[in-house]
Amino acid sequence: MRNLKISIKNLEKSFKEKKILKNLSLDIFESESLSIIGESGSGKSILTRCIVGLIDFEMGEIKFENSENLMKFNFSEKMKYISNFGILFQNSALLDSLTIQENLEFAKKKENYTKTLDEVGLPKNILNKFPAELSVGMQKRVGLARAIIKEPKVLILDEPTTGLDPIIARQINKLIKELVKKKKITTITVTHDMESVYEFGDYVAFLKEGKIEWYGDAKKINKSKKISLKNFINGIDEER
Amino acid sequence: MNFLKKLFSLVFNFFYSIGEIVNFFLDSIKFALIGKFYPEIFLKQCIKIGFNSLPVVGLTSIFTGMVLALQSYTGFSRFSAESAIPNVVVLSITRELAPVLAGLMVAGRSGAAIAAEIGTMKVTEQIDALKTLSTNPYNYLIIPRILAGIITLPILVFVGDIIGVMGGYLICVNLLNFNPTVYLQNTYNFVQFLDVFSGLVKASVFGFLITFMGCYHGFNASGGAQGVGQSTTYSVVSSSILILLMNYIITSFFFRL
Repeated sequence: MRNLKISIKNLEKSFKEKKILKNLSLDIFESESLSIIGESGSGKSILTRCIVGLIDFEMGEIKFENSENLMKFNFSEKMKYISNFGILFQNSALLDSLTIQENLEFAKKKENYTKTLDEVGLPKNILNKFPAELSVGMQKRVGLARAIIKEPKVLILDEPTTGLDPIIARQINKLIKELVKKKKITTITVTHDMESVYEFGDYVAFLKEGKIEWYGDAKKINKSKKISLKNFINGIDEER
Repeated sequence: MNFLKKLFSLVFNFFYSIGEIVNFFLDSIKFALIGKFYPEIFLKQCIKIGFNSLPVVGLTSIFTGMVLALQSYTGFSRFSAESAIPNVVVLSITRELAPVLAGLMVAGRSGAAIAAEIGTMKVTEQIDALKTLSTNPYNYLIIPRILAGIITLPILVFVGDIIGVMGGYLICVNLLNFNPTVYLQNTYNFVQFLDVFSGLVKASVFGFLITFMGCYHGFNASGGAQGVGQSTTYSVVSSSILILLMNYIITSFFFRL
């Protein structure tokens, strides 16, 4: 039995005159890992920002655990709503004027961060360092630690392996898979890295030009007959 | 037709920007009243905007006072009114030059830094990250900076007033053979509370304009490094123009008193 966590209906979002999301509907279920894939500019990141409440949408509805439509929330309700999510941003988005410990304190005040750092495979001696002193891979791990430390109801991973070399990317994928399994947390991953999808995706939504072109079990993605999806997986440029 | 379309879009964009600025201002006031206050960030900003600008404002003031003394001497000596130099120096410095020059210097120094810092945070998603960490960016980033600007600029200008007057004193005493006691006595006897007060009011308003425009342009930066650069430029240009405009408005207000 799948429990509905987030319900998205007829979502529309435009920037100036360009429609980014077109009448998009999608259900996200509890303790499942959904991967949202698609070409650059297909609206993946915009969709997750709408879900989290970081940007407003013009039409449609987003309901979290059968609550009121997100569109009707005022500022303080929205801030409360946003706190349900933990996000690993594409560029980690660590506050660069603060040390790693202060970054983690921002998410949750704790006496000891060693266990949290251990969970993401980082040594405790980085706590007094600034983000700029760490490698991109380490920054991603700190970003992940900051996202999970506050025990969010939904974890959002925005391009978790972008900008990493294949070895570090594989390590991050493996780490996310272990965390998702261990914490049984609802996860939404925005990616165009198929390795990530195969590693920890339960379900996949394939986005094209602001619409969901394909949705299904991650294990069946390679059996799909959808040409656009096949082309995306195999890296074939449709316009050629 | 094309010209009319362009004109319409220009007018529309102008009023749209004004609307956005007003919205940002109202939001800042709202969250200042109901949101959390971060005293640590506020104190850090006081040091950054106020204390760290002291050398720049001090240098500007001392040289302005020195130049003012020399230029006044050139004019006043033509009709034997040299004794009025201390009065002109103190009046010009306190009422006009210290607040305006300090404002323009701080706009170039701190206003640009604020826009660049907040702009970088915006384009690297750090502001979004703050929201997901249940922190209102207005309370954490905007309000401490604006308050620091409003409070530290008058202090800076007051220090600038003293340094500027001392600049005039140095020139008059060492170069123009004025009696030091008479110079200081003249200055002290001539200056009124309103002269200094009007300058400090100006400084406070300029402090608000500088930090507000820095925060607004940084907060609305987009498009990577180029966007951050653009927001910094807009911040300095808009706050400098607003300083000159508000300077006239405040001067004409105090002129009637």
